[in-house]
Amino acid sequence: MTFSLLHATDFADRLLYNIIPPLKAGMIVLADRYAFTAFSRDTARGVDRQWVRELYSFAVKPDLAVYFRVPIEVSTERLLARRVKLKFYEAGMDMGWSNNLVESFRMFQGKVLDEYDRLVDEFGLSVVDATGSITDQQRFFRKLVSQHLEIKNDNELLDDIA
Amino acid sequence: MTTNSSTTSPENPAAAEPRVGTYYGNPIPYLPLDGYPGKIVAIEGTDGVGRSTQIRLLREWLEVQGYGVVETGWTRSELMQPTIDLAKASNTLNKLTFQLLYATDFADRLEKEIIPALKAGFIVLSDRYIYTAMARAGVRGIDRTWIRNLYGFAIAPHLVFYLRIDEKTLIRRVLQSRGMDYWESGMDMKLGDDIYESFRAYQRSLLKEYASMAEEYNFRVLDAKRKVEVIQDELRRQIGAFLAMEDGVAKPDPPPL
Repeated sequence: MTFSLLHATDFADRLLYNIIPPLKAGMIVLADRYAFTAFSRDTARGVDRQWVRELYSFAVKPDLAVYFRVPIEVSTERLLARRVKLKFYEAGMDMGWSNNLVESFRMFQGKVLDEYDRLVDEFGLSVVDATGSITDQQRFFRKLVSQHLEIKNDNELLDDIA
Repeated sequence: MTTNSSTTSPENPAAAEPRVGTYYGNPIPYLPLDGYPGKIVAIEGTDGVGRSTQIRLLREWLEVQGYGVVETGWTRSELMQPTIDLAKASNTLNKLTFQLLYATDFADRLEKEIIPALKAGFIVLSDRYIYTAMARAGVRGIDRTWIRNLYGFAIAPHLVFYLRIDEKTLIRRVLQSRGMDYWESGMDMKLGDDIYESFRAYQRSLLKEYASMAEEYNFRVLDAKRKVEVIQDELRRQIGAFLAMEDGVAKPDPPPL
């Protein structure tokens, strides 16, 4: 509960200082993770599903929410390949499910992913297959965003970079 | 599992509350309350009503009778107190983050102090409870449904005493003791530059909020203008009656040897 509430406090602070003012000024806000992270992570951690949704009811509904989906094996492999030290809470070590960091990460993040899948329908998240190449993902992502903003989808630029 | 222990007592039939000792809203999924033997007694009231004095005296009285007593108080969690003090001092809080910090503090104390104490059969004397947060949220115009949902994870106390005082007495007592401070005067609400006028207006609306909750949450209202000893006698009488009744209920069901 305290984990969930501290994140909500941080989110409220960023919402009021960093998100709402630019929105009022007519700017585009790119949010790296949003309330959906809390919905999946906190529920995986055993917090009541409905309660955490109500907790975040003060959040602004995003115009577009994109979920980059990867299977748990892929995300684990990617992190370990880079020798990223798995963080205690990301690995759900606080749940006491396993003393093995990687094992605990798989179990906990597996639950998190299950919760994300539930969110896709509930909140109409657009799903990007994040197992593909970065360029493919970026193209698809741009298509989603440009459709939404009704601007020209300019993938030639990306071809130049790639 | 006896979660629905009733608090019906002859002097306060309104307290026939079916949910005491259980969660107000959806339970915390990983912390089921399996008919824990402990009790929560909350003492609510604005500044200057003598809550801490009454709690100190109650503690002595209960311990002499052999009850284990645990005290818990608003913003006193180990996790959050430094953060809340820092945030108050730096003035970066808005009403929403302020409320969420309170809720975090309460959640920490609930998980780490209150529930373990209930499980072990202690009487938890709570100096203020969630109603303080609700009153402060109410005067700041925070959505009532949101704040009630937020505190859905709180446990309904077995007894809630509201030490009620009038505005005039409250102001005099606070001025006489430690004076007004920025937050207690609601200066964040920008009611005016005059700290006295702001304090008065703020405390008046707090009193209104408390009054509006009295029925909803079965407050046992005590007139806090009376002498300390008189109030203490009244508290002891009501708590004593409640505990006697609970002991009576518990007897037919002794634990297996």
